[in-house]
Amino acid sequence: MDDQQYHAIGKTSIRKDGIAKVTGQEIYTTDVVLPRMLHARVLRSPFPHATIKTIDTREAEKLGAICITPRDVPDLRYAERIVTIPSKTFKDRQVLTNTPRHVGEAIAAVAAETEDLAEQALSLVRVEYERLPAVFDPFEAMKEGSPLLHRTILFGQDEIQVKNNIAASREIVEGDIEKGFKEAEIIFEETFETGRVYHAQMEPKSVVCQPEADGGITVWTTTQTIHNVRQLLGEIFKIPLSRVNVKKVALGGSFGSSIQMNSVVPIGVALALKARRPVKLVSSREEDMHDHCKYPSWIQLKLGGKRDGTFVAGHMKVIIDIGAHNTQAYPLLGCMAGWWVSLYKLPHLKFEGQAVYTNKVPACAMQGFGNPQVTFAVESMMDMMAEKLEIDPIDLRLKNYVGLGETFWGQGPTVKSIIRSCGVEEMLRKGAELVGWKDKFKREKTEGVIRRGIGMARGFHTSGAGAPMAGEVIDYSGSIVKINEDGSVDFLTALMDLGGGTLDALAKIVAEELKVPLDKVGISPVDTRTTVYDVCTHATRGIYCGGGALHKVTGQAKTKLLEFASRILQVPPHSLKMEVDEEAGQGMVYVDGVQGRRISVGEVAKTAQINDWGTIAAVDSLRQVSCPPCFMAYFIEVEVNMETGVIKPTKALAYADVGQVVNPDLARGQLFGGLYRGLGYALLEDTQYDEESGELTSGGWITDFKMLTANDLPEMDNIEVHFTDTYEPTGPFGAKGIGEAALNPVAAALANAVYNAIGVRFTEIPITPEKVLKKINDHCKINSEKLTVKN
Amino acid sequence: MEYLRPQNLKNALHLMKQWKKKATLIAGGTNVIPDLRARAVRPEVLIDISHLKSLAYIKEDKRKIHIGALTTVSELASSKIIEKWAPLLSHAANQLGNPLVRNRATIAGNLADGSPAADTAVPLLALEAIVVIQGGKEKQVPIHQFFVGPNQTVLKRDEMIKEVIIPKFNPNAKTAYFKLGLRNSMAVSVVSIAVLMEMEKTFCKKARIGYGAVAPKPIRAYRVEEMLENKELTERLLRACCETIGKEISPISDIRASKEYRTEMASVLLKRVMKRVTQ
Ligand SMILES: Cc1cc2nc3c(=O)[nH]c(=O)nc-3n(C[C@H](O)[C@H](O)[C@H](O)COP(=O)(O)OP(=O)(O)OC[C@H]3O[C@@H](n4cnc5c(N)ncnc54)[C@H](O)[C@@H]3O)c2cc1C
Repeated sequence: MDDQQYHAIGKTSIRKDGIAKVTGQEIYTTDVVLPRMLHARVLRSPFPHATIKTIDTREAEKLGAICITPRDVPDLRYAERIVTIPSKTFKDRQVLTNTPRHVGEAIAAVAAETEDLAEQALSLVRVEYERLPAVFDPFEAMKEGSPLLHRTILFGQDEIQVKNNIAASREIVEGDIEKGFKEAEIIFEETFETGRVYHAQMEPKSVVCQPEADGGITVWTTTQTIHNVRQLLGEIFKIPLSRVNVKKVALGGSFGSSIQMNSVVPIGVALALKARRPVKLVSSREEDMHDHCKYPSWIQLKLGGKRDGTFVAGHMKVIIDIGAHNTQAYPLLGCMAGWWVSLYKLPHLKFEGQAVYTNKVPACAMQGFGNPQVTFAVESMMDMMAEKLEIDPIDLRLKNYVGLGETFWGQGPTVKSIIRSCGVEEMLRKGAELVGWKDKFKREKTEGVIRRGIGMARGFHTSGAGAPMAGEVIDYSGSIVKINEDGSVDFLTALMDLGGGTLDALAKIVAEELKVPLDKVGISPVDTRTTVYDVCTHATRGIYCGGGALHKVTGQAKTKLLEFASRILQVPPHSLKMEVDEEAGQGMVYVDGVQGRRISVGEVAKTAQINDWGTIAAVDSLRQVSCPPCFMAYFIEVEVNMETGVIKPTKALAYADVGQVVNPDLARGQLFGGLYRGLGYALLEDTQYDEESGELTSGGWITDFKMLTANDLPEMDNIEVHFTDTYEPTGPFGAKGIGEAALNPVAAALANAVYNAIGVRFTEIPITPEKVLKKINDHCKINSEKLTVKN
Repeated sequence: MEYLRPQNLKNALHLMKQWKKKATLIAGGTNVIPDLRARAVRPEVLIDISHLKSLAYIKEDKRKIHIGALTTVSELASSKIIEKWAPLLSHAANQLGNPLVRNRATIAGNLADGSPAADTAVPLLALEAIVVIQGGKEKQVPIHQFFVGPNQTVLKRDEMIKEVIIPKFNPNAKTAYFKLGLRNSMAVSVVSIAVLMEMEKTFCKKARIGYGAVAPKPIRAYRVEEMLENKELTERLLRACCETIGKEISPISDIRASKEYRTEMASVLLKRVMKRVTQ
């Protein structure tokens, strides 16, 4: 990269939304209050599978409540998530259903003057159910004769039959695995299993809807994509998009749970349209836990290699238990294949994936979209192979990883690009050095109660879903940039900030490109009417794709700015340079080496206004034609208590390749967050079901969905974070993404550390103390301590 | 639901007598509020006593410590008196819930809730505390008689806890406390243990062992206590105790742990505390 000095990129700054957030002034969906607003509650199925014979809302209506049942909502099936192109989208959802397929599925809803009254009204709605047989295990569900959740579903426009509850399947082949495995000198095979984690995003899913006099609607909601919500509402309620407006409000976290239009949104809209009054619907935490979870997986992995550690063939079979609805299983399976083939080079490979319906809470995207699952399997197996081949696990990885100049699948087989920046070698070699890998990994094993181990794993995530060719997933962003008459700048983007500070990074891109001080860049409050399309904040695409588009548009505004400046300074535009003058609080335009030819951005804009030249502004869209991987490695140390089975992570080192770091503090925050969630994924987080009632064993109570606390993490002093020295030539100022990458390798690093400590391999996460103890009792010898009695 | 806020203890007792079953007493509310939300209790009136600060105190006299019913868990955790005279209770208080919960949770609420996993009950059992109950008249109930079953205590509808009394223990006695949960904060105990042992060199003169979450109520491990008392502590004896404890408890499987795991952990924790007090 060139040696230019940045004043905004890579500098620590106070978040633009920081003060509003810490002082409670930020507006989230739940904070929106409108005149004459009603409050809504939803009637949810107590059964995992049933049909509704009758619903009687008369008593509730006597209380003055507005009620809706499946009769009152548009009769169509839709997909909540429309990031995928229409022809590859599976649709099996309804706004309200006559056939609830999991405990907690919405059947009816009421709106009343207060939430209390709505609760009362809800308790007066009489429903007669006929229970249907339910199935909770995906392997059972695939058997002939198992209860079928959906007889037919829509695939694009076509109605298709569902066989054996298989919602989607994919097979991807490259080379010839039979030939490949024949060439292999050593073959490994193992099955891995990962948990059904609840997102536990801070803000439960919510919506406020205002019906407008012209028949349109205005909507405030928890979402990662305001434009997709708008389009879907337009489609469901048959309202022209020009009369559907979705407002952008702050989002209290999501981890992927709002990549789709949330199920509460059309319910709130249907109520508001019927009531002709604004309606607010806020999910309780218990309802939220009955709404979504991460995809749990069974991954059967077979890898063949040469004795020198070169891989020749791989075969991965995946079963995903998607629960009651297909939110995005088809792209998920494609992505899982992509994550796998992009980790290590495999000349011959075959991927077979199946997504299976069960009568459980529907699974949807969650941080990593199949990548943490795949990485857990592959990175665990890397250590197993390294041990067998007597190669250092780091060397085995360096020998086979997919790196610079090679092809990367950013979003399944249709989104491929060439890797142009790669910090893998740096992170593995330097990381190993920093943690003292060689000594610790080979450390003498003890036989005591507390055993220590170290493990590492690597991984990556895509930055967006861009590629030269259009694929199965839509990926582009757009922005508007406007230079104000005092030299400050407004930018408008539909891109959502999920809480990680994405829009702060975008403000830095604008500030850097126009050389204006960061505090002169304003992030405009927007809605779908005032912005051009942005697909969604997902796939770790915020900075790279959203920021990339904004960088392009800022460049266009800059061209116009320099054109005006050249008129004023009477020099050709390409002789002009820009620099920031923090003291003046201005970006400056000047001619190198010529005295007196210097003017501030504000003066240019003001002059343009006075002379009627027009506003310096630009609007455009950009599709990135690349999807650069952001690479990640973790080194984790643990202590395992052989008596209680408790695993204690004691130290961690995170090494990330995010290209140019845009926001150092927030990037570090992403890594801490990834480590935290990853350790929870590895050790504790899961949702389970009571097979009789079909209800979550936690009942949806957050107290019984255990996540780690700060007290369960290594001390802050024992967590180290490093960034590689890399620059992504296709990214805005060299930047790539980070968010999902930060999570992906954690579980494998932890499992590898546990193996290093006690010699027992865990292929199923979460690795709970009970599971540890069971395996220890089967496999390990513990020298029981002496119970001596001292005076 | 009605909300009542009596001005003093007498008033509160009067209201309780008046409303009986229809009322729920609320102190810190860290059990009551979640119970209301889950509809595990559906009272007609809530009688709030959280503001009766005269019932929040920690005092000592020559032989005893007196803890007012409304003393919060964080007050227990930071009290010098408790640290000195009932360190077991200090440890337990420090590990209960999280700072937010500890600031509201009261000792009486913890006991009256009657959870088998109640964290303050376990050290109080080892310390042989006395629960002072105020109804029509005042009575004193030894803590080992206070719990009846899961969420059941001897408290009647018109009675409340006024105070907890802890006899000052022999300062030469050794104590140890361990709590095992699914995480290090905000965790209901999977198993917890508190022991107090008076030793003369390797001779055990007195042993008191409290356990949480291994039976329908917080319990004393009487059989193990008996095995230890007035005995020379040998490795063999200690191992025998760790075996016996499995027979003395009756844990259940629940969302947090299986019966088998609890049984094994009861023994592991006993070994740990024994190690602690004998070294
Ligand atoms: C997040 C969270 C974490 C928790 N973690 C733990 C933990 O680690 N360990 C643990 O043991 N507990 C834990 N608890 C439970 C709870 O905090 C404790 O039991 C607490 O001590 C209850 O006290 P309180 O004052 O809040 O009781 P309240 O909720 O006010 O009352 C609890 C019960 O006691 C009754 N009561 C209250 N005061 C009196 C009185 N003076 N006389 C008679 N009856 C009375 C009430 O009627 C009610 O039945 C946790 C709770 C939460 C919400």
